[in-house]
Amino acid sequence: MRRLCLNCAYGFLALGVAACLMAALAASCSAQNITVPTSAVAGEPASIAITGSGKATLYILGPGISTKQEVNLGEDLKLRGDALKNAGDYHIVACSDSCHSATFYVSAGKPASLTFLVHPSRVPVSQQDAVSGVAFPFDQFHNLVFTPQTINFQLSAGNASLLNRSVNTQAGVAWFRTSSGKSAGALQVVASLNDFNARRVVQQVASDPCNLRITGQRNAQGILVQTEPVHDCSGNPVPDGTIVSFTATAASGKSTVDAPIKKGVARAEMEATGSAVISGASGVVMGNEVRVGGRP
Amino acid sequence: MKFILPIILAIATVVLIGVAFVASGTVVGKTVGIEAGSAMYGLTPKASTPDQALTNLLVDVKRRNWDQAYGEISNPQVATKQQFIQAWTGSYGSLRTFSALEGFELRPMHITNDAAQMRVRLHWTTPIGPLEDVRDFHLAKVGDIWKTVWSKTDVPNVPSQVIPVTYLRWDLVSAAGDDEWGAKNIDAPHVRIISMNPLDFAEGAVVLGEVVNEDTIPAFVNVTATLVDGSGKEIDEETSFDKIDHILLPKQVTPYRIDFPKVNLKNVKNVRMNVKATLVPASADPVIGVMNQKVDPDYQGKSVLRGDLLNESGQTVNIPHVIASLYDNNGKVIWVADGYVEHSLLPQTAAPFEIEIPKNMVPKVSNFHVVVNQYSMGRN
Amino acid sequence: MEPTEYSERNERTVVSATQPPRRPIPLLAIVLLALMVHGPLLMMQLPSGSFDANFHMFFASHYAHHWFDPWNLKWFGGFSQTTYPPLTHQWIALLSYIVGLKMGYMLVQLIGIMLLPVGVYRFARIWVDDRAASYAAVGCVFLGSLTFLTYQAGQLATVCSAALYLNALPYFYEWMTESSVRSLIKGIAVSLTAAAAHHVTLIFGALLFAVPVLWTALVDAHDERVAGSVGGVISRAAIFAVAVGAGVGLVLMPYWVALIQHPIHQIPIPHDSRANFLLNSTTAINYFLIPYGLLIVALPFIVIRGASSRRLIPLLMGFWVTFIFGLGGTTPLPRWLLGRAYEILTFERFTFWATLLTLPIVGLLAADLIDRFRVKAAVGLALAAVFTFGAAMFWLSENPFRAAFTQINVAPVDAFLNRDGHDAYRYVLLGFGSELARVSIGTTASSVDGDYNSARLLPEMTNYGSAQLTNSKFYGSAGMASLRAMLEHANRYGLKYIFVHDAYYEPLLTFVGWRKIETFDNGAVTVWSKDDVPPAHPIQSDAMPTAFQGVLWGTLPIGVSFLAIILEFLLPNPRRVSGAVRATVRAEHSVA
Repeated sequence: MRRLCLNCAYGFLALGVAACLMAALAASCSAQNITVPTSAVAGEPASIAITGSGKATLYILGPGISTKQEVNLGEDLKLRGDALKNAGDYHIVACSDSCHSATFYVSAGKPASLTFLVHPSRVPVSQQDAVSGVAFPFDQFHNLVFTPQTINFQLSAGNASLLNRSVNTQAGVAWFRTSSGKSAGALQVVASLNDFNARRVVQQVASDPCNLRITGQRNAQGILVQTEPVHDCSGNPVPDGTIVSFTATAASGKSTVDAPIKKGVARAEMEATGSAVISGASGVVMGNEVRVGGRP
Repeated sequence: MKFILPIILAIATVVLIGVAFVASGTVVGKTVGIEAGSAMYGLTPKASTPDQALTNLLVDVKRRNWDQAYGEISNPQVATKQQFIQAWTGSYGSLRTFSALEGFELRPMHITNDAAQMRVRLHWTTPIGPLEDVRDFHLAKVGDIWKTVWSKTDVPNVPSQVIPVTYLRWDLVSAAGDDEWGAKNIDAPHVRIISMNPLDFAEGAVVLGEVVNEDTIPAFVNVTATLVDGSGKEIDEETSFDKIDHILLPKQVTPYRIDFPKVNLKNVKNVRMNVKATLVPASADPVIGVMNQKVDPDYQGKSVLRGDLLNESGQTVNIPHVIASLYDNNGKVIWVADGYVEHSLLPQTAAPFEIEIPKNMVPKVSNFHVVVNQYSMGRN
Repeated sequence: MEPTEYSERNERTVVSATQPPRRPIPLLAIVLLALMVHGPLLMMQLPSGSFDANFHMFFASHYAHHWFDPWNLKWFGGFSQTTYPPLTHQWIALLSYIVGLKMGYMLVQLIGIMLLPVGVYRFARIWVDDRAASYAAVGCVFLGSLTFLTYQAGQLATVCSAALYLNALPYFYEWMTESSVRSLIKGIAVSLTAAAAHHVTLIFGALLFAVPVLWTALVDAHDERVAGSVGGVISRAAIFAVAVGAGVGLVLMPYWVALIQHPIHQIPIPHDSRANFLLNSTTAINYFLIPYGLLIVALPFIVIRGASSRRLIPLLMGFWVTFIFGLGGTTPLPRWLLGRAYEILTFERFTFWATLLTLPIVGLLAADLIDRFRVKAAVGLALAAVFTFGAAMFWLSENPFRAAFTQINVAPVDAFLNRDGHDAYRYVLLGFGSELARVSIGTTASSVDGDYNSARLLPEMTNYGSAQLTNSKFYGSAGMASLRAMLEHANRYGLKYIFVHDAYYEPLLTFVGWRKIETFDNGAVTVWSKDDVPPAHPIQSDAMPTAFQGVLWGTLPIGVSFLAIILEFLLPNPRRVSGAVRATVRAEHSVA
């Protein structure tokens, strides 16, 4: 119990001393006055005035920066532009006999670049709200520009313009969302801000095959089976390389070939001696069935 | 003592060596690192029985003592030594060329005074795991010893020809390093699990089904399943491993099977599926047709799915891997079976394959879908 | 040590003053001979291509960086180095600060080789005179088995431990027969040093080397050739055994703890030294012809000569048992006597020990031959020694077991693992052989594989009868099954990268979902990766030694080696009487 009491006494003593020190510091700091710029811009010089006389140590603490220098009180202090490259809050602390502090805000400069994200990179045609883009204006020091800027989004496929929309940035961000076009091919997406353009390409690709039709005929090796040109429901040719699965069912068993579409058509040789029923499918899309007679 | 002790030690040494020699039955132990070397001269047992004759042949094949092995066949006129070696070691970079005979079991089928038929189960070690092969050998008595009658094997011979190939290939160009926002990244391919069926099997559980690549670009696919118990705790996590065709071309469907040894499905409340697809460079060739598929019993009475693989391309496929989805009447995937083919597929030629179907699945199988995965040297 | 020798030799020594020189070859000259023969080969770093050299350097590398922490994360996802006595590795680690790791290895190996003739000389003198002992010591420099172990197998610890053990045994004999406390202290210190170098040598050396010495001491006591009585010899042998046993228990305490905690329960791994040599000529050459060399020709004479003297019979019997063990699976005796341990041990070291045990008798035979045929015999014996040594060196490059003498360029592998955060994942090498350890030394990444069978705890490795994953194909189906099991659990272990130096493994990797992502060294090495693997996380293990064990491990083994060196200087042997005088003195103790 006695030890506890002693500890309490030491605790109160320490707290009292700390409170006195803080009060003294606050009283001494109020002895000077620092005038900071009301509107500073990243990368541009600014000046600070500190009243008083004699010398002081000046500390500047900002986003990603901290400096210490000796200054003469009563003179304007010029801050170079490269000392204020990062936008954000800056804290100034001047210490001579006592310390004094002030805070000012450095805002981003003029937009100098545009970061533009578009999603997805590849989209099937005729999909609702499938394409979206987000643009961020930045100044020359990569500070996000929060002051509202007007960004123009243009979407075009071939020579046709699909979208032309101007959007003001909110909190440094502008965005759009739109549907994919009806034709396969490259969708050019451009975001413009003043003289700055950012260009992205979204590949519009055919949707699932539609109305898959196959034909088959017997030849010397067996049965040559092939599709008609494969298109999606919008009439776009399905890309080469897409797999069409042919299945031939005959008395000798079942034969399957996964054949890629080449030049719009998938083609395969099937081995079947007797008559066979042949079907085709691509992914989960089924095609027609054809019956090929046996070898005469 | 000067001579007695040496004599005792010499006799003891000889006896001990003799005991080890007899106990080993002259069957070769496992040799690590090399396949060379043979028994000391005169220690190879005389082929006085069909068993011993075939054992001698297979031991020499195992050790790749081709001169001796070739000398142990009764009819060298049917095959040159090179053809004999090729029959054992495979050709064209097939799975057999990577394999080594590890062991064998003999079973006499029919023996008379001067002829015998033996059935041999050959155990091969291969890069993709152990494989078994069953072969019948005929033996004939030549003088006082038995010799193996070699049957000529037909090696596929492809005539010289020009096969025009319209190459379809996807290459991948990576974004430059300064693209720090990933603004120029290409999206991963869209793949989808179109069926999933967990079931108990043997001493564990399996999760099987099919995956489709819904995209217009090739995808490298791995399927992972996590079994979760009633309290939400993970029991086990496994991947599709080699029971899947990892490279899926656009709109291609592959079966997958994930094995969970020693897990009882009764303890599983939930199965979390995760399919990971990556964009990879790929080629649409080779195209391999699967012909004349049917379920038949094999010589041992087991049900197998058999057929022929037809290489419709102009390049040799070294190791084909056949994976089959088996469906019930309702079109549900009830099993995924797979098997490797030990012969390579030469262009425009066919090679047979067989996949064993579990006995309890056979009555339920109403349909099947076979895909062929492949390894081609220098192109994978 | 009180010398002992044969009457016929003594008589001849006395009466044949006009014969060619009968003086022993000075020990210093023999040590210099060893330095001359093996020094250049070691400075050329010839053993760096041997099977185990990289393994020893890998262990040493860990001690160089973490002296007091024997838990090594680089293999098996983490393993304890207390599973292997550390002395040689710690010495390499110390020397590596001055000359680098590889040269440190060579220097420790050289020290072991130079200690060996000293040990053989002193060990032989228990039975034979100085001259024969000096011939035995010269013989050991050219032993095929020593060449085999040093340059082909890379069994650094076996060689060093055997050399130390041979040096300890004369002290044991002196203590038993003369009650010399000085010998007791030095014998214990050197024995503990030998134990700190290699555990297998300690366990089997105790039986195969020490029992003949004890037996001889008993014979000598019985025949009153020495001062001690039979009872005294037995009681002093017991004291020595208890003291050494307790010392080994303490010095290697973390090893015993690890062994008791995790006894070796893995599926037996095949090794060719366990094969029946009669059924495989290559194995016979590798494990019998090359290690023995032309000693094979001398074997009948060795047996007859050994049996001709009662004092030599213990040595002969020790040799015979060791010889039979060295034959591996050619006789059933090792399997009968060792039981399960048979499948864990390799038997080439028994051949080495057998050749060492036979050297005193070989020294006698050499002395006889030189006495009889003079220069012709000397030339013949020299040629035989050189032939034995040369054949082993020739076999080094011609044997089908040879390790990577055309070394793989592992620098790109290490560079890949050490950049871009690749070391956050684990890796496996395939087809790299013993280069596995060399890669591990140079990278901060960890592997699930490793080149030390006894430390493996991961079930994917212990449940199959194969050793390293990098050598999977050499273990047939068991090896490939082990590799498949590990690949199946790649995600579990954070195993993301596989480096392939053998196209044999490419089909498996292709089929199980790995992709080739990079190629090094003109295609000699390819890198394979799996995309969905999460970063590696530490594998919990109860095999991790405590901090206290780490301190013991870092102080006691190296400490006893320093102690042994200090004692050799502090307690020097008294000057010996010359051989000729002894011969006359001991002539009355004829036993032949």
